[in-house]
Amino acid sequence: MSAVSLLAQSLSVCLGRTQALAGVTLELRPGWTAIVGPNGAGKSTLLRALAGLQTLQAGRVLLNGVALTETSPRMQAAQMAWLSQQGETSGDLTVREVVHLGRLPHVGLWGSATSQDEVVVQNAMLQTECAAWQHRRLHELSGGERQRVWLARALAVDAPMLLLDEPTTHLDPPHQVALVRLLKRLAQQGRTVVSVLHDVSLALQADRLVVMKAGRITHEGPHDDPALHLELSAVFDDAVRVERLRERWIAVPVLDH
Amino acid sequence: MSWRRCAPAVVALCLHAAAWSQTTLRDDRGTALVLVAPPQRIVSLLPSLTESVCALGACARLVGTDQFSNWPVSVLKLPKLGGLDDAQVERIVALKPDLVLAATSARVIDRLQGLGVKVMVLESRNHADVKRSLNLLAQALGTPREADAVWSKIEIDITAAAAQVPARVRGQRVYFEADATPYAAGASSFIGENLTRLGMANVVPEALGPFPKLSPEFVVRAQPEVVMATARSVSDMPQRPGWSALRALKRRQTCGFEPASYEMLIRPGPRMGEAALVLADCLAHLPPPR
Amino acid sequence: MSEHDARRRAQLAWSLLLLSAVLWAAGLAAGSEGWSPRDLTALLQGSDAALIVGEIRAPRTLGAWLVGALLGLAGAVAQGLFRNPLADPYLLGSASGASLGVVLVLAAAALTGQGMSMATLDALQRVGLVGAAFVGALLGVGLTLLMGRGTQHTLRLLLAGVVVGVMLSAVGDLVTTSAPEALRGKQAFLLGSTGFLSWGSCAVLASGLLLAAPLAWRLSRLLDALSLGEDSARSLGLALPRARLALIVAMALATGVAVSQAGLIGFVGLVAPHLVRRFAPSPHGYSLLASAGMGGCLLLLSDVLARSLLAPVEVPVGVLTAVLGGSYLLWLLHRRGLA
Repeated sequence: MSAVSLLAQSLSVCLGRTQALAGVTLELRPGWTAIVGPNGAGKSTLLRALAGLQTLQAGRVLLNGVALTETSPRMQAAQMAWLSQQGETSGDLTVREVVHLGRLPHVGLWGSATSQDEVVVQNAMLQTECAAWQHRRLHELSGGERQRVWLARALAVDAPMLLLDEPTTHLDPPHQVALVRLLKRLAQQGRTVVSVLHDVSLALQADRLVVMKAGRITHEGPHDDPALHLELSAVFDDAVRVERLRERWIAVPVLDH
Repeated sequence: MSWRRCAPAVVALCLHAAAWSQTTLRDDRGTALVLVAPPQRIVSLLPSLTESVCALGACARLVGTDQFSNWPVSVLKLPKLGGLDDAQVERIVALKPDLVLAATSARVIDRLQGLGVKVMVLESRNHADVKRSLNLLAQALGTPREADAVWSKIEIDITAAAAQVPARVRGQRVYFEADATPYAAGASSFIGENLTRLGMANVVPEALGPFPKLSPEFVVRAQPEVVMATARSVSDMPQRPGWSALRALKRRQTCGFEPASYEMLIRPGPRMGEAALVLADCLAHLPPPR
Repeated sequence: MSEHDARRRAQLAWSLLLLSAVLWAAGLAAGSEGWSPRDLTALLQGSDAALIVGEIRAPRTLGAWLVGALLGLAGAVAQGLFRNPLADPYLLGSASGASLGVVLVLAAAALTGQGMSMATLDALQRVGLVGAAFVGALLGVGLTLLMGRGTQHTLRLLLAGVVVGVMLSAVGDLVTTSAPEALRGKQAFLLGSTGFLSWGSCAVLASGLLLAAPLAWRLSRLLDALSLGEDSARSLGLALPRARLALIVAMALATGVAVSQAGLIGFVGLVAPHLVRRFAPSPHGYSLLASAGMGGCLLLLSDVLARSLLAPVEVPVGVLTAVLGGSYLLWLLHRRGLA
């Protein structure tokens, strides 16, 4: 697994009249990085910009030193897997067929799938626990089950970098835990995992956190950095407090005022 | 005092006078139309009715026609008021007509009547219709005897036309194409009636109605002896699948009419006699089959 | 795919093949005597077999199937591209473009002697209604692509298609007011007709199908990926704009060829993909081709009925596709209402 480095330089994005990103610079290395912040901070926009899906008013994104705009889409797709915040369910594809679409960067529009592709698809479904109903159609599944299918689709790309926007949407606690374990495992394999998470406690299980507010990065650091913990409280208007519970850091909602 | 004695006599005189010039007619809808005096400003919304008015000698009284009326030449300079479906109500009313002539199923009729305009609806689908329309029109125009003159001329022309049709052609089956879809003119249409008067038969049985939409195969299998259509259609016919096998086409037993003559053939009006003559002329000049 | 799915797909494929064969045979027996196998045997024994059966019924039957296949294919592409089950092949202005082309040629022919040079008129007559309809359809789609500024934004493309459709219709109406003789020809064209399909038409239709079907099939994975959403499809490394343009070209080609030969026949392109989805839901690689087969059977059935119901009078085939297709859609709605 060749390590992938992604560097965002002075990204600026305007959405309508709002400045969604204002001069964001960020470097992403192997490991699990979580992006947190209040609503409207620009987290999803940043992830889209990193994935090359967002038009930039200024700045550029460098993948392994080469600007995204100069990388071929297919090569970029093989290096980066992106999971959207909102999934669409048009069409009649089965779970297995959807996960198979994750192999498109490798197989292309016209190539045929090899046994290697089958192995990767099967693994992806096992890791997200949706192999049992691989022949059911998407629209027959619940929200949480569908989310796991989309996750499996992103995993099937088998890319050294994963950009996941709110991967825990609709997931129940057991599956949230399973996801966290999965992301840690992937990070240990040397992949670069970047996830936008609204749940700060889950985000604190990542290696590094990036805190955003109003289109800017206000702090960046390892998950046990006390300055980071203070910044988290500040950015959420003191509605959360980071505390240690056994060996983990968790964010506790502040209810006593 | 003398006024009181005159009054009843004056009233009686007025009533009498009114009875002389007032005509009540029933048009083809069954509606009674009361005309106090013969109309002097007439609008016609159907070409055959325009032609009928002119044939009855009242051309000068026309103040407006529909866009398709083009005979006689003098009507071309009259204001054109749209067709039956999109008649220009405002312009019609602005012309202040005292009678509007139309065919049934025109939305404009109710609108015009609502605005106080007198509308006379005349249907002309076959010979009987045309005769009746001519009579009603003539009565409305105040010249009831003209209708007979026009109708006799039509009859004379048709009889003359029938005499022109050579014996070897008589009795042969004709396919008259009204539209390239193909729609044919059946025996019960006025075109079919003309052909019958000329002694010709029709490939389309009466049961199918006046203008049936036929399957192309039917025409090929029927093998008409004579084919009649617009000149352009006749030249295109051999390209239709299977139609090159039509004997009538191979033996040039065809009548391809130019647009002006074709228009006259498909109008059920006072020129039906001329139309019959045109048909007979073509039939008389068909090349002898080899 | 699961056993169940595989079986359904095979069953549908075989059924469509069988149904096509049955309908082709039925088409040979449908003529001016109604649907009559006895008439067919009599013809085959007589001397007119080559003419009636060979030159009229056979090409018409095959042609109807081919037109239906083209419309079914185009409809399936449209529904996949726009991710909308109500999309039909005429969405991007091909219908109004074709009818405007037809109106212009008819009006030009009618305006003879009113200032048209003989050379222009001669050229127009050679191009004929068929050429005018085809070119018109392609130009209509081209105009939509121009107004939608490429294939990037589906919604903008859809809106552009609606606007172009309305605009071109209006221009057509304008032309018919100045040349009212063109109106009748235009209405006949709009109704749709399989009446004069010859072997030549079949050759043109078959070439259209052989061009459009493989092109669309090769790009079917794009339609599958699009079902995940535009951004997800882009993130999978697909050259969306170019591939979408190629699909639109395939759709325009299929629709243009079908419309130029048989006029505007509705409901086939809309209903055929629905029927395929109902019996055997599948990725687009299969459902595009199955929709073609289903469309062919649907239109051929309508054509056989059109010839047989009131023989020798022919019901316009567009009326029958509307009745059959519309009834199916009504039934679908009814079922959804109950569910």
